[in-house]
Amino acid sequence: MSDAAIIFEQVRAPMLGGDSHLEMDLRIGSGEWVACVGPSRAGKSLMVELAAGLVVPESGRVLVLGQDWRQVPDDDPKSVRLRVGVVLQQPGLLSNMTLFNNVLLPLRYHRGSIPDRHREQMVMSQLERLGLASLRDRFPAELNQGEARRGAIARALMLEPDLLLLDDPVAGLDADMVVELTTYVDEWRARRPLTVLAALRGWSPFVEAADRLVVLHEGRVAADGTRDAVGEMVPAPLRRYVDKPVESCRMER
Amino acid sequence: MITWVGRKTIAGWTYLAALATLFAQALLDLLMPARQGRGETFRVLIRQILFTGVDALPVTTVMALLLGIIIVTQAGTQLPRLGAGALVGSIIVVTVIRELGPLVTAFIVVGRSGSAIATELGNMSVTREIVALRLMGIAVGRFVVMPRMVGMVLSMLCLTIYFDVVAVFGGYLVADAQLTIPLDAFAGSVVRALSTTDVLMTVLKGLGFGSAVAAVCCYHGLAVRSSYTEVPQQTTRAMINSFVLCLLFDVVVTVPLYL
Repeated sequence: MSDAAIIFEQVRAPMLGGDSHLEMDLRIGSGEWVACVGPSRAGKSLMVELAAGLVVPESGRVLVLGQDWRQVPDDDPKSVRLRVGVVLQQPGLLSNMTLFNNVLLPLRYHRGSIPDRHREQMVMSQLERLGLASLRDRFPAELNQGEARRGAIARALMLEPDLLLLDDPVAGLDADMVVELTTYVDEWRARRPLTVLAALRGWSPFVEAADRLVVLHEGRVAADGTRDAVGEMVPAPLRRYVDKPVESCRMER
Repeated sequence: MITWVGRKTIAGWTYLAALATLFAQALLDLLMPARQGRGETFRVLIRQILFTGVDALPVTTVMALLLGIIIVTQAGTQLPRLGAGALVGSIIVVTVIRELGPLVTAFIVVGRSGSAIATELGNMSVTREIVALRLMGIAVGRFVVMPRMVGMVLSMLCLTIYFDVVAVFGGYLVADAQLTIPLDAFAGSVVRALSTTDVLMTVLKGLGFGSAVAAVCCYHGLAVRSSYTEVPQQTTRAMINSFVLCLLFDVVVTVPLYL
């Protein structure tokens, strides 16, 4: 139990519209990088929202870093919430703050003891690493989708979480930037233990880098395992979400 | 019909209870601040005071001056015919300091800041900024609602007092220029008519209107769920309900005291 970062224990939760349900019994180990792929309306975003504590399951329970979200108060300064970084499909950068201040916000709010200068250096180094330094004074409305998403990921990592939950992190990013982002997350994992659960629409270098692949289809886990193992067990109609597109292979050559 | 009335009554009380809960929670957050995030929350509070209070000074000044001029012009031309020319000071106390000052200030604040708060929070809900704050472990009540409410209440109180002072000054301008009432006579008339109760009522109304408007506008802003079309709808509701609640509060505190 203790080495699991997330446990979906016989979880049942209604999907958008309420016609169908996500049903899941899954365990994600501490330090694992898990990519969850599948077609639209498979329940990928719901899985992330359950893990983030935004949705309460109808039945079953979700344990994150050993705690049930239902028992976690919203404003507890020692809450498990601060050990979980989350980026949803909508990055949620605060529109009245610049990108720099957005990324700085969690540090300012929760790490008041760190000197201003040091906090600002921490933010700038992350923005530089993600190629966002020149955009530091822009407001979210002046950023494109990919820039806003990268900013949100930097913000989610500022408190050095143990668990990173990402919903469609590569949407709006060009191919080079996806590789950059993958390397960026990988670097974080090399520095300190970090479990990653990312919901993605299909194959990308981000999926390629994952230790484990979970394929969702109509609210159920259709396949679960390493990329090679999943490639063999996944039904043919879902293979395109797992396999590298032929075009990508050709371009690499 | 009875069912309809019953439903509406229950809905009205439920709404008032929700507003009271929101206000009580903000009060708790103010009186028992969390250790973390004090600096950030204070920044939000200062921004709110600047926007609601300081930025509203020009429009408040103009409206207060004009109102003072209108009231003293009307009173100064009508009262002497009745042999009550000395009551000009009384009139401005009764109409402006007791009633119109707090009410017009509340209407200015609702139009400027109340609508802005409802719209801002509504947009924050749609773009999932509110959710993002929760996910960062930032309590929405402490960081978003409380500083806006406190900022609005303080600003409303200060603006109300400022409005009264400027309106009386506007009245004096007319009294001096057209009615040839000297400053000492005008001021003496105002001071004689002004009681401690009037001052306390102005303060009470400033605080009450501020609380009501802030609670209503935050409530409706946060009531937006998932669509941008909800934002103007909730903003309109917030403004109308703020006006109604201010008038209701005014009646509740005025009638028992002056009737």
